[in-house]
Amino acid sequence: MFGEQQRFMLFLIAPAALLMLLFQVLPIVIGANASFRDWALYNPKKIWVGFSHYYAVLSDPAFLYVVLPNTFLFMILSVAGALVAGLALALLLNRPFRGQKLVQTILLVPLMVAPVVAAIMIRWMFNDQFGIVNTVLEAIGLEGQPWLVQRWSAFGIILLTDIWLWTPWFTLLLLAGLQSLPKEPFEAAAIDGTTTWRVFRFLTLPMLRPVIVVCVVIRAIDAFRTFDIVWTLTGGGPGRSTELFSLYAYVHAFLNLDLGRGSAAAIIGGLIILVIGVVLYRLVDRIAKA
Amino acid sequence: MKQLTKLAVATTVALWAAAGSASAQVTELRIGYQPSPIQDNSIAMFEAWGAKNGVKIVKVPNSYGVYVEKMTASLTSNSDQYDVIWHNDDWGQTWAHLLEPMDDVEANKFASKWSMSPIVFGNDKGQNTVVPMGQTFSVFFYRSDLVKPEEVPKTLDELVTVSKKLQADGKVKFGYVAGASMNNSWFTWFWSMWGNNCDVLLPPYERDNKKLAANGWKSGMTEPCMQKNVEYWWDAINTHKIVPRGMPAYDRNEANAVFMAGDAAFTVADSLWWGTFNDPAKSKIAGKVAATRFPLGPDRAKPFAWDDIWGWAIPKSISPERKKKAKEMLNAMMLDKEGQKKLFKATGAPPPNTEFWAEIAAEDAFMKLLKESVLDSPDKVRGAYYFPQWPAVHKAFNDTVTKAVTGKREDIAKVLAEGAPLVSKAAQ
Repeated sequence: MFGEQQRFMLFLIAPAALLMLLFQVLPIVIGANASFRDWALYNPKKIWVGFSHYYAVLSDPAFLYVVLPNTFLFMILSVAGALVAGLALALLLNRPFRGQKLVQTILLVPLMVAPVVAAIMIRWMFNDQFGIVNTVLEAIGLEGQPWLVQRWSAFGIILLTDIWLWTPWFTLLLLAGLQSLPKEPFEAAAIDGTTTWRVFRFLTLPMLRPVIVVCVVIRAIDAFRTFDIVWTLTGGGPGRSTELFSLYAYVHAFLNLDLGRGSAAAIIGGLIILVIGVVLYRLVDRIAKA
Repeated sequence: MKQLTKLAVATTVALWAAAGSASAQVTELRIGYQPSPIQDNSIAMFEAWGAKNGVKIVKVPNSYGVYVEKMTASLTSNSDQYDVIWHNDDWGQTWAHLLEPMDDVEANKFASKWSMSPIVFGNDKGQNTVVPMGQTFSVFFYRSDLVKPEEVPKTLDELVTVSKKLQADGKVKFGYVAGASMNNSWFTWFWSMWGNNCDVLLPPYERDNKKLAANGWKSGMTEPCMQKNVEYWWDAINTHKIVPRGMPAYDRNEANAVFMAGDAAFTVADSLWWGTFNDPAKSKIAGKVAATRFPLGPDRAKPFAWDDIWGWAIPKSISPERKKKAKEMLNAMMLDKEGQKKLFKATGAPPPNTEFWAEIAAEDAFMKLLKESVLDSPDKVRGAYYFPQWPAVHKAFNDTVTKAVTGKREDIAKVLAEGAPLVSKAAQ
C-alpha cells in the first residue's frame, strides 16, 4: 500500500500526529460533544440538549454587545500597538551602535516573563494607593487615578500589558526580516539622496510586508484567545466591562461549572477565529503573490 | 516439575497476599488544600497525628483561583488524587453527592451545630459530608489606638462621621477599606446589606432552597434596601471620600495591605487575619487592632453575626481503607486541644471543637469577643447560598453592584433593575 519512503515518512510523523490527536483533536471533540449536552462539571448528566447552549450564548446581550466588541477591539489595538512598537524598535536595532547587543537582550526581557506574573506586577504598578504610576503622577502635582474601576482605563492597562509582552516578539521577527532585505535598493536610494521617511515608506515597508503580514496573522489569532492577563488584571471587570471572549467561556465552564455552555461559547469562538484566520491567510497569500 | 509448579504457585500466592496487605495498610494520606494560615495549622495537626501513627502526610497545594474547578474535575472523574480536601460552605451543595458521609466521625459531635447544618453540608440522604477545620467569618476590625471602644461606629452613618473626623484630624488617610470585587463581596457588599435587612435573594437571610424556589428565586436587587446599600458605598467613595476610589476593584489582599499600612481606621476581614494584622513583621498596626460587631443600616436595629466554617472532606471515590484512615486522622484532629489552641493563636479563627472555646476565651480577649459577639449570637447569618449555581449568582450580583457603584449615582436604580433578572436567572 505504501512505499518504503512513505512508510518512513509516516513513521516520522506518527509521534507528533498521535500527540496532536490526544491533546488537541480529542479535547475539541469532547468539548464539542459537551456543548450539545447538559454537562455541569459537578453533575455531568450528559443529556442531549441540542443547540440550546449555542442559542443561549448567541442571544446573550453580554456576549453580543460587550464580549465580542471588547475582543475585536483588543485584538486590533493590541496587534497594531505591538506591531508599531516592535517595528520602531527593530528599525532602531537594525543600525549598528555601541551596546546594540545589550539593548537587544534587554528588550527581549518581557518575552521571558510569564504573562500572569507580568499582569500581577502591572496590577500593583497601577494600584491607586501603592502603585508607582500614581506615586509619579502625585510627585509631579497630578492627581492619582483609580485605574481599575473605570472601563476604559482598565481596558487601556490590559492593552498596555499585552503590548509590552508582545512587542519583543514583533521586534525579533521584524529585525530578522530587515536584516534579510537586499542592500542594493537602499544603496541606490542613498545615492539619489532620498529622505529617510521616503526610504521607509517606499522601500522598507513594501519589502518587509510579507513578514509583517505573517506576524500580524499569527498574533491576531493568538490575541483573540487572550485570557491570563485579563483574568489577573481585571477579572473582566469592573462589572464585566473588560470581559473578552476567553473569559466568557471560562466563567461559564469553570466558575459557573457549566461545561456545556462554556464549551458552546468556546466552539463559537473557535468558529469566529477560523473565519478570521481564513480571511487573514488569504490576505497573506495575495500579498505573497503580489 | 510438580515441585517447581507448587513453588511457583506458593510464591504467587505469597506475593499476592503481601501486595494485598500492603494496599490495605495505608502509609500516606494526600491532602488537597490551599495554602493559608488556618489550613497550614490544621495540616500541622494532621502531621502530628501522622508522625505518631506512621502515616506520611503529603501536602498538595492548589491555587485559590482555580481550586473549585480543579477539585470539582478531580471529584467527578473519580480520581484518587486526594484523600482529604479542603471544603467550604460555598461548595457544600455543589460537592455533597461526591463526598464521603462523615456521620461516623465521632468527634464531629463537638462541632458547631449551626455550622454543620444539613442545609449547608448535607447530602440528599441528610448525611453530613464535612469535618470542620475552624470557624471562618468576618468581623469589623478597628484601630484601637485611634478609636476608643465606646466611639466605634454602631451604624453605617456613624461609620461616615467617625471616619471623616479621623481624616480631618489627620490621623488616617481613609476611614474604611475592604475587598469589594468578585469573590470579595463579603467584606463590603454583603455585611452592609445584611446589616440593613437586605439580601441577594428574597426573603432576606433565607437559605432553604425550597423556600427560595417557591419565591421564584426572586432577587433583592430592586428592593429599596439594596439601592440604599449601593448608594451608601457610592457616597462613601465619591461624596464623603472615606474609602479609596479604587476600592470597587480591590481584592482582600489589596484592601488588607491598605489597612496594615496604617492608612485606614476600619476594615471588615475574616477573623483569621487577626494573626497577620498583629504580626509586626507584616503589619504597621500590630498591637493596635481590635474587633467588634458590624455597624447596622437604618432599617435594622438588632445586631447580627455571620458564622460559617471551613472544613475537610473525603472524596467518595477513594478506597475504603483510605477513607477509614482519613477519618481516623480527622477525628484525632478534632480532639487535638493543643493543636487547636495553636491554630487559634496563629490565625484568630475559632477552632473546630466547641468544647475548647470557653477555655480559650478565658485565656484570650479576642476569642472572648468572638464568642460573645459571633459564636454565641442568637442572630446569625449564613455567608453564602447552598445550591450549585451559587457562584453564578454571586458573580451576577457582584457584576451588577460594581457596575452601579462605578457609574453615575442617578443610574444606580436602573443598573440594579437591569441586574435583577440576571441574578434570578443565574439561580435557576
